[in-house]
Amino acid sequence: MKTLLLGASLAALLHITPTVVLVKRQDAVNRLLPGADTFAARELHLSSADSKRLHDAVGWEPPDGMVTFYVGKHQDQVSGALLFMRVDSQHGPLELAIGFDTRGAIRGVEVTKATVEMKPWVLEALRAGLTDAYRGLTADQTPAGAAKVKPRIGAMPGYMAELIDKGVMHGGAAYRLFYGRR
Amino acid sequence: MLYNLRHSDLRVRWLVTLLLATLGTSYLFGAWMVALYAGFSPRKVAETYGPAGEAVMAMQMPPDTTVVTERPVSMGEMGEEMHHVDKELLVQDTHVHMPMYAVIAACLSVIALGLTVPRWAGLSIITVLFAAPWLDFAGMWLTKLASPRFAIVTLAGGWAMALGYTIVAVLATYQMWWRKA
Repeated sequence: MKTLLLGASLAALLHITPTVVLVKRQDAVNRLLPGADTFAARELHLSSADSKRLHDAVGWEPPDGMVTFYVGKHQDQVSGALLFMRVDSQHGPLELAIGFDTRGAIRGVEVTKATVEMKPWVLEALRAGLTDAYRGLTADQTPAGAAKVKPRIGAMPGYMAELIDKGVMHGGAAYRLFYGRR
Repeated sequence: MLYNLRHSDLRVRWLVTLLLATLGTSYLFGAWMVALYAGFSPRKVAETYGPAGEAVMAMQMPPDTTVVTERPVSMGEMGEEMHHVDKELLVQDTHVHMPMYAVIAACLSVIALGLTVPRWAGLSIITVLFAAPWLDFAGMWLTKLASPRFAIVTLAGGWAMALGYTIVAVLATYQMWWRKA
């Protein structure tokens, strides 16, 4: 019985907590593609060479070789693009929505999902103004939001900020390398 | 028989009843979650655990050159994330869920040890309880790595899990509270 209880406690400790929605995807789309009334999904199934290119650039490639940009249009004019990006960690996954304007600069970043455990850390990093640091960043600039907010937040929120930086960097590289592909 | 649930102390029977009720409730929510994120048909399971979701099930290998497709989507479609479990997430899921499944199967097996059933039946119940999570995850991995056809194995695992729980719960409840003599 002792072994069973120990096993159950260990399993509970190892368990990654469930995912929670911080911002609904629709709300993220409204904020990051303002004014857009029609949308298109531009799906890229990357070749091995392009996956390697992306990996060489930022040390990451989409696990299933797919990158999807959602393009927003208003009166048939492109008003921006957005992609959802997952960042894995030992505490579970985070999901970001990264919006780009028509010049290719970051319009905004929303953290759409986190785990129950990560949620308070992420919210602390966001309250410290983490995502402000990404606004206006061009796709070739390295995001450094974590460095800006770390002096004002705890260690785990700081770690979350680093993960979000990483996700923004991955998204920026995907945009820079592949968004214009036809 | 290691112990007899039928003639066990009231506290043991109460513990087992509450455990079964709690596990049963969690299984109901588990089924609801499966319906939300993976579905109960082989096609839906294959889409969830296949190499890269429905859109590219036909082209599992990376193409020679990057393939770009564009299609109109509604706001609703953008909000509806097609839940797809990629390899990294499946590693995480397997690591997280297998120990918990083992603990649940062990708990139900301990209850099964106290049932008044023939030895072969007890062995069969314990086998089903532990085979279920193995089938579940073997199906997911085979769907991802070998062929979407293996989605049926995951479904078999899910049904085996439900079957094992139902057998233990029905027999235990009946023997503990109705057929005590």
